[in-house]
Amino acid sequence: MKLTGKRKIQIGVLLLPGILVFAIFTCYPIIKLFIMSFFEWNYGSILDQNFIGLQNYINVFSDEYFRTAFVNTIIYTLVTVPGQMILGLLVALLLNQVTRLKVTYRVLYYLPVITSWVVASLIFKYVFNTEGMLNYFLTDIIHLTSENIRWLDTRWGGLCIAMFLGIWKGIGWNMIVFLAALQTVPTEYYEAASIDGASSVKKFFHVTLPCIKGNILFALVMLTIGGFNVYTSVKMITNGEPGHQTDMILTWMYHKAFNTGDFGYSAALSFVTAVVLAILAVIQFRLMQNKDN
Amino acid sequence: MKKNIKTQILCHILLIAGLIVVVLPMLYMISTSLKPNGALYEFPPRFFPDLDEITLENYQYILSQKKFYINFLNSIFVSVSSVLLTALIASAMGFVIARFNFPGKKFLFAFIVLTMIVPGMTLIVPQYELAVKLNAINSLAALIPFYVAWTIAYSTFMIKGFVENIPKELDEAIYMDGGSVFTVFRHAILPLAKPGIASVSIFNFLTAWEEFPWANTVINDDLKRTLPIAISGFFGQHQFTQWGYVFALSVFSLVPILLVFIFCQKFFVAGLASGSVKG
Amino acid sequence: MKKRALQAILISMILGTTVISGCAQSGNGSNNSEDKQVTINFWHNYSAQSAENEILTNDLIPQFEKEHPNIKVNAVSHEWADLHQKILISAQSDTLPDVARLDIAWIPEFQTSDILVPLDQEMTDFEDVSGQLLENAMDTATIGDHTYGLALNTNTKILFYNKAAFEDAGLNAPVTMDDFINAAETLSGENANGQAVWGYNEPALGGWNLCPFIWSMGGSITNEDETQSSGYINSPETIQAIETLKQLYDAGAITGWNSGDIPMTDGFGTGRYMMLLEGPWKIEELKGAYPDFEYEMCEMPAGSGGSVSVLGGEDIAMFKGAQQEAAWEFMKFMTGAYAQEKMAEAGQIPVNTEALDSQTVQNAPFAPFLEAIKTAQSRPTVSCWSEMDSELSVAVTAVMNGEKTAQEAMDELAAQFDELLQS
Repeated sequence: MKLTGKRKIQIGVLLLPGILVFAIFTCYPIIKLFIMSFFEWNYGSILDQNFIGLQNYINVFSDEYFRTAFVNTIIYTLVTVPGQMILGLLVALLLNQVTRLKVTYRVLYYLPVITSWVVASLIFKYVFNTEGMLNYFLTDIIHLTSENIRWLDTRWGGLCIAMFLGIWKGIGWNMIVFLAALQTVPTEYYEAASIDGASSVKKFFHVTLPCIKGNILFALVMLTIGGFNVYTSVKMITNGEPGHQTDMILTWMYHKAFNTGDFGYSAALSFVTAVVLAILAVIQFRLMQNKDN
Repeated sequence: MKKNIKTQILCHILLIAGLIVVVLPMLYMISTSLKPNGALYEFPPRFFPDLDEITLENYQYILSQKKFYINFLNSIFVSVSSVLLTALIASAMGFVIARFNFPGKKFLFAFIVLTMIVPGMTLIVPQYELAVKLNAINSLAALIPFYVAWTIAYSTFMIKGFVENIPKELDEAIYMDGGSVFTVFRHAILPLAKPGIASVSIFNFLTAWEEFPWANTVINDDLKRTLPIAISGFFGQHQFTQWGYVFALSVFSLVPILLVFIFCQKFFVAGLASGSVKG
Repeated sequence: MKKRALQAILISMILGTTVISGCAQSGNGSNNSEDKQVTINFWHNYSAQSAENEILTNDLIPQFEKEHPNIKVNAVSHEWADLHQKILISAQSDTLPDVARLDIAWIPEFQTSDILVPLDQEMTDFEDVSGQLLENAMDTATIGDHTYGLALNTNTKILFYNKAAFEDAGLNAPVTMDDFINAAETLSGENANGQAVWGYNEPALGGWNLCPFIWSMGGSITNEDETQSSGYINSPETIQAIETLKQLYDAGAITGWNSGDIPMTDGFGTGRYMMLLEGPWKIEELKGAYPDFEYEMCEMPAGSGGSVSVLGGEDIAMFKGAQQEAAWEFMKFMTGAYAQEKMAEAGQIPVNTEALDSQTVQNAPFAPFLEAIKTAQSRPTVSCWSEMDSELSVAVTAVMNGEKTAQEAMDELAAQFDELLQS
């Protein structure tokens, strides 16, 4: 459409607030982040920062706590993303089959999503307390183990609980996304497949999956970002204990910035994370496109 | 289409089995909030308190504390304001990007996608620096622009998808009648994209309602805290935690978001169906 | 119709909250003229659910505001660790409160950051005020030639033990470290319900927690001048203290610092932890949460270094940029006899000499604490203590989990500490 002068102004007016918000609250911080990452920027030098080149990046990569946090975050993402997608899709498929109680199921399965991370984390902390209800159930009622399991006290225990929480909280969102997607699959396809004598499993892989590929990609990208964003649950449940072994990238970043005041280090760390995520997202898009052809 | 009864039953069984795992922690929270505080480390631990043991003392305590009302209203104020602002700004942007060509459009859109990918929290350090410069530390209202900035990329991206699904003929008709871009936006786009905008807004409401790290960093005063900060501040790590109080307050924090979700359910599924893939 | 109503509700909610938050904000202006209302911000770490906080908000502040009608006090409770972080953050953004209650261990750090007001220089009646407070408590706020705070309360930790459990096992109050180890081992295991019980609880592994053991067993953190740590934090005595705790942990006799452990007070009150090392506030806390529970108190068990507990306590200090006059009035009030006596009811040991002589304090069960304070030591008074503290806790956690031996961990720590102390 040709833009006349008047329309140009009108479009400008509509765009302006958004662009302003982006410029001030996103663009500026991104640039600032990049700049900060090259300076010695901490409590002691807030007024006169020294340019220290790549030193912050060197500090980040040579920091064993960062490596642990990075590995933890990767594991968290690799487990929770497929976990909640598969379970969410399963629930959506089941829901698509039933004729009664649909809305009830949907609301109940969605409850964890709308529970705030703070509340959900506190519930999990309470449930998985070494002397808590769950261990009582496992040891004294069904006698699965003879000794209380120390869910929250070790690196892997703490990570598992955080991942379990992540999956628990994410199933509902995936269910809704896939439920919506399933409704867009034309019923004729299934009917045609039935005529060809395809089994339900075959129908799922040859009709359903290809039709909802777009939604899968969408969920994959959003959830990967979400996985890297894990913060509140770990902060509330283990707070990085024991000895920073359950820290995630963001909890470690926050600790370095606001507990020790090393803003330069945290800026470098954030920048690395953002770049890794951007690359991951591009790869995910590419992979999906390749499968297309 | 006729559905097999056996499949139906099997599906229900599986769904209920899943529901148990999903809902149990929530039930435990509610049952704990109804127990007297002394019973929390009882032996044997019980999932439900006995009927005659059920107490509302935790709720009464929470309701007797003036500051929690204010925390609650703070959360409502911040969430509603940022949702409304985001909806308005993002739908204007989404509309323009979907319908017009203008210089820098490609760049703008690429930037939006980029900011969707970068987790909001990685910017917390420079945003903190910005908040210091803008004198926005310890100010409740100053949370709003930051929440808008965090949700706007995703919202614009989604709303652009919804707008593209609206037939262009409608716009044309309005332009023929001498309408401006604003008229099209108000009378064609906003009403038709409403389900989409609503579904995005529900997410945004949830984001703002439960946001923890940013508010926890910039808000200092008791009376300016939002609910998640109030709840976490109420939970003492190694001292003794009165879980009954903590969970009673948590239950209150769930109510508004539950209402929003139940009332807007329709939009929710519809919005996601039309928007998510087409972006 | 319905929509209209919803809109109306939303709008009124927004307006309503704006008004409320507006009101809450209105006092904060930096309006300093004398006949106008002044609001001072006071940050503290009396925890939100505590008796101290009740007294502060329902008694002390109303009383202060009655005495000073033109001053309003906005008190904010932070968790102990959060308070430290919040102050550091706020220092960067010029949003520090006027007054804060600070752990005595933080004073050197904040003094180095140049955010505290030297009271002896700025306040004309400083001598009169400080003269009413215990001299050794005031020392915690003095760095070099100046004094940066007023002592607010003092404390130390002594041993609390489960009376019934000790009697049943035929044990006496542990006097020596060997008694303590023996009691911890004897009393751990399982109770009648088949639940695990531990002889001793330690809720964290920082300096506040470890120092009593290190010192009492003859070890130390640094040298006398607090300039060097090698040879002290990794001395045989210090290492033996850490190893003793490690052995007790391995034997299932102590626990408490893990994320999944029962919180200290609950575990003690329900008979799962048999001993604690805690301060005077615990008495009030136990009375509130577990009124029927019976326990006894005794001194920190003595090792080769004697019975040495850790000196705790808080100072009340004023930050630069504060509304000094109003802040000073509040500080005087909080260290005055009235407030000190009131806080003593919640287990805060007064430092005001008049309050110490009062009937309330005489009747309070402070005697064993006052006795222990005489031999208690303070943690290193260096500006890098917070960092050292957090490194110490990481190192000892690694020892407890068997990732490093005490010797390895402490040797590494010594090198780190030396670097921190010299920079």
